[in-house]
Amino acid sequence: MTSKYGDGVSSDATLVERLLHRDVSAFEELYDRHSRIVYALVVRILQQAPTAEEVCQDVFLQLWRNAALYQSARGPFVPWLLTLARNRALDHLRLKSERQRRREDQTEELPAIAQAPEYEKALDEKRRAERIRSLIGTLSAPQKKAIEMAYFEGLSHSEIANALHEPLGTVKSWIRNGLLRLKEGLQTAS
Amino acid sequence: MSEQDQFRELIEGYALGALDASERAMLEAHLAAGCPECAKALEEARFLVSQLAYLAPPAEPSEMLKARLMRTVRAEQSAARPTTTPSRGASIPYWLWAGVAALLLLSAYSTWDARRLQKEVQEVKARAAAELKHRQQLEQELTEAKHEAWILTDPSSKKIDIMPNDKEMPMLQATWHPELGIYITGQKMPMPKGNKVLQLWLIPKKAGAKPMPSHTFWPDASGKIREMVDDPPEVMAQTKALAITEEPEGGSQQPTSTPMWVGGVS
Repeated sequence: MTSKYGDGVSSDATLVERLLHRDVSAFEELYDRHSRIVYALVVRILQQAPTAEEVCQDVFLQLWRNAALYQSARGPFVPWLLTLARNRALDHLRLKSERQRRREDQTEELPAIAQAPEYEKALDEKRRAERIRSLIGTLSAPQKKAIEMAYFEGLSHSEIANALHEPLGTVKSWIRNGLLRLKEGLQTAS
Repeated sequence: MSEQDQFRELIEGYALGALDASERAMLEAHLAAGCPECAKALEEARFLVSQLAYLAPPAEPSEMLKARLMRTVRAEQSAARPTTTPSRGASIPYWLWAGVAALLLLSAYSTWDARRLQKEVQEVKARAAAELKHRQQLEQELTEAKHEAWILTDPSSKKIDIMPNDKEMPMLQATWHPELGIYITGQKMPMPKGNKVLQLWLIPKKAGAKPMPSHTFWPDASGKIREMVDDPPEVMAQTKALAITEEPEGGSQQPTSTPMWVGGVS
């Protein structure tokens, strides 16, 4: 099988390298490749197209201005970019809905390492999207709901337990077992 | 279960950002101590979590976004373009040594000056980025303030006094605009105890209907409340009253305590 994803990682890394030399065409290529998934993620979190576009703009400008912060040796580019986009969108969501609340900021300014396991390196982006959507459909409805609340709404285990009126331990198990099942599904399918 | 197993159970929740503070601190201390197994598991968990982005329904950004970005990027590229040094000739006549020396000095000065300018440009850009961020925050606050002012002054808004059950407590006021939402204000409010929050409920007119949960909020340090509810779960015409209870952090789907404030809508 041709490793489209593997080629994509290499090309993304090369394009990011070119950003360090202020190469506008490299930026445009990266935008064309990844703006759809970044926007889809951000608009899913924020639920408002105009605000989502502002956050997307912020994410891509950060990439342009601070490309050196991504290091290809420490992991593939797309998970790094998606983590950056999710963090920015959740920050925006919290700023809007909890601006009166004084709380510890849990979000990292920049994404940490996300190393692709071996079984994942051979998958292209489209197939990975199809597979993850198919696998989430095999989880129970509460498992799926809890994982989506944590990922897209940025809620903690306790917040999800309160919202769903379920014991904290149950919610933790749903989320962990659900994620492990997704991981096993990806391993089995590759 | 071994201590190592306990840490491994936290890895997925940590990658998701869903751990509570105490668990997060415990795992971070363990990772900082240098556990290679947990570090490796965390890298994989982070990757897996990032893949959840593909659960978002497909969506396309507008062409305007790309146009705006490209305009900004091109402008910044032009601003950062390094100054080119003119090339010198391969040979210089003897009688021009003095001129060459002057050119060399000029060239050295130009290089130094270009570096200085580049540094200044970088500093200006950093300041501009900080200013831009500050301006965006101010614009957002301005938009919210306009929104609130509109609700407070529009003739179609309805003012609702939300009265306390305890006479020692202050009264709150809600202004409900049929399209823009509910704006709640109050002063001298005590902070809820423990991990409690205040939660707004909409009591439907329909007989037997359950209270509908809405926003959770806190007074600020000076006891003021300014809460904008731009997405009330029920329309004004179908709402009998607004009520506020104290609920556990994160809010509840059904009230777990008696309302501390109630205000009739119609």
